[in-house]
Amino acid sequence: VKVERLKGRRLAWSQFRAVVRKEALQTFRDRRIISMLVLAPLIQVVLFGLAVDFDVDHVPTAVVDMDGSATSRAQLRQLLADGTLRRVARVSTEAEANQLLDQGVAGAAVIIPAGFGADLEAGRSPAVQVLVDGADPLRSSTVVSTTSQFFGRLAAQGLRERLAEAGRTHLPEVKLVPRVFFNPRLKTAVYMVPGILAMLLVSVTTIVTAMGLSREREMGTLEQLLVTPVEPLTLLGGKMVPFVAVGFFDVLLLLAIMTGLFEVPIRGPLPVLALGTLLYVCSTLGVGLLVSTVSSDQQQGFMGGFLFMLPAALLSGIMTPVSSMPAWLQPVTWLNPLRFFAELVRGVLLRGAGFRQVWPQLLILTVFGVTLMSVATYRFRRKLA
Amino acid sequence: MASKEILHIQRDPRMLYFAIVMPAVMLLLFGFGISFDTDRVPIAVCDADHTPESRALANAFGRSKDFDIVARPRPEEIEGLFQQGRAQAALVMRPGYGRNLANERPAEVELVVDGADPSSANQIMQKADAIARAETRGRILRLGVPTQPTVEARAWIRYNPRALSPIFLVPGLTAYLLGVGAVLLTALSIAREWEHGSMEQLFASPVGRFEIILGKLVPYLGIGMLQLLVILVVGTTVFDVPVRGSLLLLLGLALLFLVCMLGQGLLISATSRNQFLATQRGLITSLLPSLLLSGMLFPIDNMPMALKVISWAVPARYLVHAFRGIMLKGGGWETAWPDFVALSIFAVVVLTFATVRFQRRIA
Repeated sequence: VKVERLKGRRLAWSQFRAVVRKEALQTFRDRRIISMLVLAPLIQVVLFGLAVDFDVDHVPTAVVDMDGSATSRAQLRQLLADGTLRRVARVSTEAEANQLLDQGVAGAAVIIPAGFGADLEAGRSPAVQVLVDGADPLRSSTVVSTTSQFFGRLAAQGLRERLAEAGRTHLPEVKLVPRVFFNPRLKTAVYMVPGILAMLLVSVTTIVTAMGLSREREMGTLEQLLVTPVEPLTLLGGKMVPFVAVGFFDVLLLLAIMTGLFEVPIRGPLPVLALGTLLYVCSTLGVGLLVSTVSSDQQQGFMGGFLFMLPAALLSGIMTPVSSMPAWLQPVTWLNPLRFFAELVRGVLLRGAGFRQVWPQLLILTVFGVTLMSVATYRFRRKLA
Repeated sequence: MASKEILHIQRDPRMLYFAIVMPAVMLLLFGFGISFDTDRVPIAVCDADHTPESRALANAFGRSKDFDIVARPRPEEIEGLFQQGRAQAALVMRPGYGRNLANERPAEVELVVDGADPSSANQIMQKADAIARAETRGRILRLGVPTQPTVEARAWIRYNPRALSPIFLVPGLTAYLLGVGAVLLTALSIAREWEHGSMEQLFASPVGRFEIILGKLVPYLGIGMLQLLVILVVGTTVFDVPVRGSLLLLLGLALLFLVCMLGQGLLISATSRNQFLATQRGLITSLLPSLLLSGMLFPIDNMPMALKVISWAVPARYLVHAFRGIMLKGGGWETAWPDFVALSIFAVVVLTFATVRFQRRIA
């Protein structure tokens, strides 16, 4: 009996290997599919890395200097010096500045009132006006804080001079000294590109499996395979293995691009990342398999995969932090494997987190992987039976 | 021709669902899901000073709605808190802080920030800076010295004074959602006809080539306009996005944009042999650029030169600009005409190309 069982296991193993070989041959023979699995992620990550930049600088600014004194010119020059604001126009009235804002030529306007220099010297506190195009909240808040910091400093300097005249040499000031960890030059790409990895793996695993299996259903080749003595489970496993391999290949490829092109550091242990990737790919393949069981052709398979991918990408914290979402929406992100994989990748690569810091993410990914795979396999077998 | 295509669409209600329900759901998800405001930043406080002054500053952070004090670790534990994602910033007050302030001297505090996410880090630094300045102002006031500010800066925020993310996103999102629907639906539906061979049958019929193409496009144009209405209704009612300018101009631009996108879908389907390839090409050539290079999320001003140049060829860029102008700023023809011209050029070019490729394919 033992020998029989051993034989059976050996048979299953050789069948499994045969299916993997067939699937790998079939997938990799098609040059277009290969280019899609490799080239498309490549294009996307480079494009994302270059385009995604939340830094607010070079805000086109209109300048209205109604004073025209040496003081106003000097202050304006200093205000523009750090590059957050970039002068695109010099106009003479507030109405003209407003018009530039309306046309979108300028994103902000700084209006220096007449008599600014004289008032400042006489201690009469002139009021500078800053008009801001508020359409983009990120940009407008930066413009407001940049200008208020600049003029705040100017005011503090004036105050200090006035107090010095009264015989006071120092003031109780709270000075904030920032120290930035992990990404000291605050580059957006360093943070975004590892997040993009989570999104790209969905498109190379979920959508490809969903469409691929739907196509087999459309053409009836799946049924043909089933009349062979291969077990459905072995068949399914064999079909998944090439995609797991492609997923890992893509991760390595993107890691190379990240570190080479976008200066993303690798601070944490790579085995933790590899384990996380394996668990995550189980989840995304499981979703693809599930989608294929409810689709009857490729178009539906694609739409199903797409309908999973977009909301999952949005509600993952990859683009914007989960903590910024409304409170009622945040619990939804708990159902999203993308969220935990993105946290894991960023933690390991940027913050040097190891197993001790990211074990909760690994645990959650395990739960997702096992659950999704089991449900998908169960449905797949039932559909075939 | 058009009525045949409409029949096709009617027979597959999933298509209609994809076209109508999806934009509404996406809009809700984007509108609620994407927000750059970081409020209630989890912050750790390391107070090694233990003076009334240091407690006062910690309280100022605790009272602010921008910060939540989540831990009081030792300085060497900060990095671990960041790695676990339990805190995003830490306020470190070293011994001597309170004494300096009590002696009416400047005192330094360290603000340690998890810089991994730069946009959050920048906002955290801005918000913390505002609290420190308020603290300074309060202390100077208490000295009883004349503190009338020597210069004031007043900011007037126009168009979106409450800095709501959806008001910024919805006009841009419209372009994205319209583009997704138009390109993918046409590309997929025509690619399917090639795959099944029904396209050749059509061309063998006495209907003219131009009529066939037109007939294929008109129903999708209708779906696109329907999508636009759904988006506008959801945007204005759920997210209070204003439409300050002319609605007619808005619809006109959207129609022109749809022609561009349908033309692109046509071109893709004429050059792709099957649905799989058509989908991938649609994703890479239209979805990705519409999302990344249109200025919908990321300002084009900040991009490297090469991407700026590519963005000129992305129709969504012009629609996003025009829609923001019309909806938020109440702009009219005088600000939208350059976008109108750019979209027209794109439409003519892409339709010419698509027709040529189409004819070559059947020949």
